[in-house]
Amino acid sequence: MKILLIEDEQALRESISAYFTEEGSICETAADYASAIAKINLYQYDCVVLDLTLPGGDGMDILRKLKELNKKDGVLIISARHSLDDKLSGLNLGADDYLVKPFHLSELKARVAAIIRRKSFNGNNLILFHEISIDGLAMSTTVGQNAVNLTRKEYDLLIYFIANQNKVITKGALAEHIWGDEIDLSDHFDFIYTHIKNLRKKLMEAGCHDYIKSMYGVGYKFCAQ
Amino acid sequence: MKLAQQYNRANIFTSLMILLLSGGVYYFAIHYILTSKLDNDLNIEEQEIIGYAKRYNKLPFPGDFKNQKITYQLQKKGTAEERHYTSTRYFNNDQKHTEPGRSLITGVHVAGKDYIVNISKSSLESEDLFRLIFMITLGVLILLLLSLLLINRFVLSHLWSSFYEMLKQLKMFNVADNLELSAPPTQIDEFQELNQAVLAMAKRARQDYTELKNFTDNASHEMMTPLAVINSKLDTLIQTGALSDRQGELIADVYLAVSRISRLNQSLLLMAKIENNLIKDEENVELSELISQKINQFSELLQSNSIFVEQHLTRKELYINKYLADILLNNLISNAIRHNKLNGVITVQLSDTGLIISNTGLNKALDENRVFERFYKNASSEGSGLGLAISSQIAMLYRLQLKYGYDSGKHVFSIEF
Repeated sequence: MKILLIEDEQALRESISAYFTEEGSICETAADYASAIAKINLYQYDCVVLDLTLPGGDGMDILRKLKELNKKDGVLIISARHSLDDKLSGLNLGADDYLVKPFHLSELKARVAAIIRRKSFNGNNLILFHEISIDGLAMSTTVGQNAVNLTRKEYDLLIYFIANQNKVITKGALAEHIWGDEIDLSDHFDFIYTHIKNLRKKLMEAGCHDYIKSMYGVGYKFCAQ
Repeated sequence: MKLAQQYNRANIFTSLMILLLSGGVYYFAIHYILTSKLDNDLNIEEQEIIGYAKRYNKLPFPGDFKNQKITYQLQKKGTAEERHYTSTRYFNNDQKHTEPGRSLITGVHVAGKDYIVNISKSSLESEDLFRLIFMITLGVLILLLLSLLLINRFVLSHLWSSFYEMLKQLKMFNVADNLELSAPPTQIDEFQELNQAVLAMAKRARQDYTELKNFTDNASHEMMTPLAVINSKLDTLIQTGALSDRQGELIADVYLAVSRISRLNQSLLLMAKIENNLIKDEENVELSELISQKINQFSELLQSNSIFVEQHLTRKELYINKYLADILLNNLISNAIRHNKLNGVITVQLSDTGLIISNTGLNKALDENRVFERFYKNASSEGSGLGLAISSQIAMLYRLQLKYGYDSGKHVFSIEF
């Protein structure tokens, strides 16, 4: 996938682009308004990750410009402004999602992947990972030929893992993804453990390899090796 | 009471008093003048009788003409009739009825005899005159009252109209919207001055509001960005591989601290926003549904602590910002879980009159006066100490009151609608 990251904070830009750059993915960056406008004029992206406060202009104007140019790029707004007004006007202007800083890179990746999936698979929303196949519309999971009956939370976890395959995902990021950030579960990571244990058990019973690995007590990694 | 009304009252009261007083003065003055004119006439008549008696040494014939009667009466020996005027009844022979009259009773000495002379005159004419004057005064009085009322009704309300127009605009004034105040046209200096002062004040308030809003935004941005950097660097750090479990533990602690700071920061910003009334977009929010959702969200936490939730919910809509309603319920319910005990109970009661959330927990009441203070928390609590402060502020924003009480082992938080 091809992503444009528009973010003025250099440290954040580097982390995000490093996280997104992998085989088959390109993450281009723009640090200010002018270079962002230049890039969206020239190229087509699967998803534009857009910071709202930029030197030289307002991120909302970039969003407007994208719609003006009739671009099909998905747009994910990342903003430090936890303001409902901004969120609503961003979504009204045609942004696909809105993420408030600070966020986990894994959450950003999962959201970008979801946007791209919605945009590119016209009605045929399939997620594949080796023998696992997920139909995003029917919300059904199969391993090889065997259907796996997952709960909503296990299903969400699996998609999150596949979007962040080969990355270490922290328990905190997983908890926030599954329960939202309203519920402070920072001292209750056992729930994550329970859900992951169940997910792993169901997948393996259907004949799946064990892809979920616990990492240094911090989190988990979903990988084929 | 309206100013015009109050002013009118004073005005009408004084006018009435002055009119009544002048009416009284009129009455006495005219009465005095008319009576002395009659008395004067009677006096002339007396002089004529005395003159006649002196000249002819006899009394003139008692007469009854031109609304005047003269009668004589022999005075008894030893009594002396003092000369005096008196008001009497006068019998009108022509019209056969009695009228008010005025008499002069005096004594005259004729031919060695003392006579009492009674000269009476009808005072009907003067009474008529008097009545006329009274009617005119009354007429003037009514006319004056009527014109005062009319002036109040039309002139005063017209004069004050620009004031009321401004007042209406002020009542609708909201710093958060962009409706400009417009000064209603007026010729009155005071109102023009008022309009200018109000317009200037509104402009200043809007300016302050914008600055404050920008400050809130900027503060949030400035603090959240470094936090986002820390978080993303940690996320990157754990990808580098080959970390020991000890390092993992340390990183997990840093993650926790970062998440706590960002929560704290968000809470503080939210409080600032609520305090400054920066949150709008109220809508009718159905609470029972929201509460069920919340309890559902917490189901795992409830299960793991074997906490039983008793719900008595009736439908109740509240005109409130949905986001704030969510935070309010979230804080109250998560507190009820967090500060509960194993196998505890939470009771949620929602009715038309209020919401009551009670939970088992520490067998000791919290400090009722401090429980809603910022950063007030139990030594054992892991929360930020802002949850209840925020809840109480949200309640206050919508003129509800969040109260705490302790009742035989149960901590009760209630909101009355």
